[in-house]
Amino acid sequence: VPKTDNQSDLEGPHRNAGPWLCSICSQQNDTSCMSCEVCGVLRDLSLYFNNTNEPEGGAKRRNKHSGVSVLARSLFTPSSPKSKAIVFSDGFRGNKNATGHMQASLGTLHKTFMTHKQRHNIVPFKFDIPSPDDMVSIGLKSSRHLRKADTSVPCVDIPGKMVMGDDDLVAEKDTSTDPSSSVKLDELGGNSSSVAANTRNETLILDNELQHLSLERKPKNSKAKIKKPVPVSQYKPEPWMLQGEDQEMPRQLNLAIVGHVDSGKSTLCGRLLHALGRISKKQMHKNEKEAKEKGKGSFAYAWAMDESADERARGITMNVGVAYFDTKNYQVVMLDSPGHKDFVPNMISGVTQADAAVLVVDASLGSFESGMGVNGVGQTKEHSQLIRSFGVENLIVAVNKMDSVEYSAERFNYVKSQLGIFLRSCGYKESAITWVPLSAMENENLVTAASDTRLSSWFHGTCLLEAIDSSAAPHRDVSKPLRLPICDVISSHVLGQVAVCGKVVCGAIRSDSKVLVMPSGELATVKIIERDSSRLSSARAGDNIAIGLQGIDPIHVMSGGVLCHPDYPVSVASSLELKILVLDITVPILPGLQFELHAHHAKVSASLVRIVSLLDQKTGKASARKPRMLTARQAAVVEVRLEREVCVEEFGTLKALGRAFLRSQGSTVAVGVVTRVVQRELELQ
Amino acid sequence: AQLLPEEEDDLWHAYNLIAVGDSLQAVTVRKVLRDSASGGRDAERVKLKLEIVVESVDYDKEGNVLRVRGKNITENDHVKIGQFHTLELELKRPFVLRKEYWDWLALDTIQQACDPTASADLAVILMQEGLAHLFLIGRSITATRSRVETSIPRKHGPAIAGYESALKKFFEHVLQALLKHIDFEVVQCVVIASPGFTKDQFRDYMHLEAARRDLRVIIENKSRIILAHAPSGYKHSLKEVLDTPGVMSLIKDTKAAQEVQALKEFFTMLTNDSARACYGPKHVEVAHERLAIQTLLMTDTLFRNTDIASRRKYVNLVESVKKYGGTVHIFSSMHVSGDQLAQLTGIAAILRFPLPDLEDIEM
Repeated sequence: VPKTDNQSDLEGPHRNAGPWLCSICSQQNDTSCMSCEVCGVLRDLSLYFNNTNEPEGGAKRRNKHSGVSVLARSLFTPSSPKSKAIVFSDGFRGNKNATGHMQASLGTLHKTFMTHKQRHNIVPFKFDIPSPDDMVSIGLKSSRHLRKADTSVPCVDIPGKMVMGDDDLVAEKDTSTDPSSSVKLDELGGNSSSVAANTRNETLILDNELQHLSLERKPKNSKAKIKKPVPVSQYKPEPWMLQGEDQEMPRQLNLAIVGHVDSGKSTLCGRLLHALGRISKKQMHKNEKEAKEKGKGSFAYAWAMDESADERARGITMNVGVAYFDTKNYQVVMLDSPGHKDFVPNMISGVTQADAAVLVVDASLGSFESGMGVNGVGQTKEHSQLIRSFGVENLIVAVNKMDSVEYSAERFNYVKSQLGIFLRSCGYKESAITWVPLSAMENENLVTAASDTRLSSWFHGTCLLEAIDSSAAPHRDVSKPLRLPICDVISSHVLGQVAVCGKVVCGAIRSDSKVLVMPSGELATVKIIERDSSRLSSARAGDNIAIGLQGIDPIHVMSGGVLCHPDYPVSVASSLELKILVLDITVPILPGLQFELHAHHAKVSASLVRIVSLLDQKTGKASARKPRMLTARQAAVVEVRLEREVCVEEFGTLKALGRAFLRSQGSTVAVGVVTRVVQRELELQ
Repeated sequence: AQLLPEEEDDLWHAYNLIAVGDSLQAVTVRKVLRDSASGGRDAERVKLKLEIVVESVDYDKEGNVLRVRGKNITENDHVKIGQFHTLELELKRPFVLRKEYWDWLALDTIQQACDPTASADLAVILMQEGLAHLFLIGRSITATRSRVETSIPRKHGPAIAGYESALKKFFEHVLQALLKHIDFEVVQCVVIASPGFTKDQFRDYMHLEAARRDLRVIIENKSRIILAHAPSGYKHSLKEVLDTPGVMSLIKDTKAAQEVQALKEFFTMLTNDSARACYGPKHVEVAHERLAIQTLLMTDTLFRNTDIASRRKYVNLVESVKKYGGTVHIFSSMHVSGDQLAQLTGIAAILRFPLPDLEDIEM
């Protein structure tokens, strides 16, 4: 069968307006319902029951006709191509309840149907390459299961023989009406055993499509918003997702700029943007003037990132700022994080999307030391630990304000050795750290190599831009079902009333597709996808995008939620088992500790229910005894209860959604991964 | 003893006071069925005084009602002896409580409840961007009066205007909650606490709006609104708010403050010398046997045990700790600190000398 790619035909054929009568229980159903509200019979059943001209007879006779024979008849009776397709599917659906060994024969039937259909140029089904056999069997199982759940079509036990008989009938009919397809059928019949697996594959695919069809419509007539979760292992990426993977498109790199307060993160960002021509002269001039007026001349570049009045007045970043620029290899999304201790929550929720990070350190005397936390916990430390636990492996350390120490190589090496020890203890590999001395204020070593002789005399490494450009390409998981944690909910005139921002963690999204908004469980349609204010038709894992949604009330969309594939909802948890690593804390952790739990963009109040076991740092083995408390640098398995439900995944399933950060009393006390999700009960009707 | 609850706190004390097996007398209303002369049945609501033997007690935080269920023991025309009845205790309604044995804890509770000077009503608005809680803190209960939550977008290029307006809207909701729930005649002062600058922003907004809309309550009580730092806007951060020096001085002698202090001491001890602090009934018991307890921390939930024997046990424990010169803090589980202690098995102790072998005893 030739490969076709016309998946949007999943939308069902349009029908006549007005209520319709269920053919089984004569219930008056609403037009919008795809199947009977009382007995669940599909609406189109009536099409072929009418066809048979049968009076209200016994179920037996109906059975006989609802099977393949009906299908065959309807196939070849003249009617509109579209309705034919749907009748076919219905007949097929009924048949699926029959025993498994008839699959092969059905498969052959399919083939004939397909060839037939293609001649008519109606291609409502999409074909994929045959999948491995184990996939088939899983699929078959689930599809059969599904049938049982949502249909009560009165043809549950057609004996296999009869169907086979009917099949013969089809063959006969075929020959009489359509010689070309019968040839095909004969051919298939000849070596049916050998092609069985192959044809079965196609049945499965078709079946999958049907599943989509029925699942998508289910919400309309039932209150159950969240469907039975399908195991993710069953998920098959649709071809459009993989398209363009090989295209030589510049990939996106989400770059976090982190560091202690006043280390010059925003100024560095502003400088970079300015040097790369992303800020207009006019804008820059305006910023400079306004900054001078406020007596904060040195903040002119930072104001390119800090746009809100409060941030400007106070001279600190409070929320994560987003800016875009291009390098040779990447489209960089720069996330400028706040350094102040109080805004670490903002930093966590804004920067979890990062693929790579620039740690900005203030080289000037005293400032570096306070960042390292001589008195209390410094944010240089806290941020680099957090960034590491976001899954960022490659770190660029920008030693800023080198001008204030006369570009002294000695100072640079001191910073390098001090910080290097700490970073290695956090789990950064020596080779993954790039050290760049620079001065954002004096524009030294940012986009071009150092010009000041005091620096260029001893430093021969890369400048910051080159370092960013040469960072390793992040791994993208396109072939998993869609997951997009909502970072921000906005409304703008371009994107519409409800729009969300975030990074596609895995899978892909495109306009006009349906997405499930968790944890509310509402369906929405993707209207617009934007990246850096330019419209896209689709976006894949790793892309940082803004999406305009339609058909959903804004109250259902909260930051911290997750957009996901309608058939593969993310798990929602109110209780979690975490494997945590306790950071450098002074007050030990006891059961009953209340803290804020951050997971991707979600934050929630939580409490520690119990400490399950203590893990040995080296061997990772659990200790036998229940520990009384946890102290700094210990690893443990703990159970936490969340105040509200949060969308997370187990770390093994999806890393990005399986990380958690525990904060208490204004500092991060532990980082961890989700080992077990205690799922909330699904409201299945 | 005849008691008259005057404020919310008193009901809470009553809840702690009334135990299963006590007898309680109060005025109540009961629907009585009566056979009328014509053979039909009339339902009539009769106000009567009943005395019951308590079987269960329920505290309704929202409605400020205490529901006590039990068997009737007074003879009267309408209710038979042994019939079940539920008495509702409300504010300003007197009741009589009889106990077979008044332990010191019960007496202490009454004394506390009768002491008007200990009362300090404090309102705390705990907020962070997009989330605010409004608490009223009485002597022994912390009531969450309101919770405001809105989604505030982060700054995002042109959407910056959306941020400003969303923040305004959020502040407006908080202000409305403040006006609705805080009565400045009762509340001594209002603490606005948040991480970062949200508290300043809100205060500015509040004063601006007060001037614009002529909100007399706020203008007149300006001096009674103070700011404090909080690590987050969630309920458990209230502990840290109460611990800040500015707030601490206001509530110094209240129970809430003492509890926060005691718990803090416990944690400090745990940090500095973990062998000198313990928690869990088993460990505390062992420590007590060795007369090591200096300060005992307990929640009132333990005393509210339905099982009389275990209540007796805890009462005896407290009494003997006191006898040997230790101090005892009974935490109210309605406060944040008590809530935390309750999750930490409800009992903990600071010891006089280290007992490192406690580690080895299975909990």
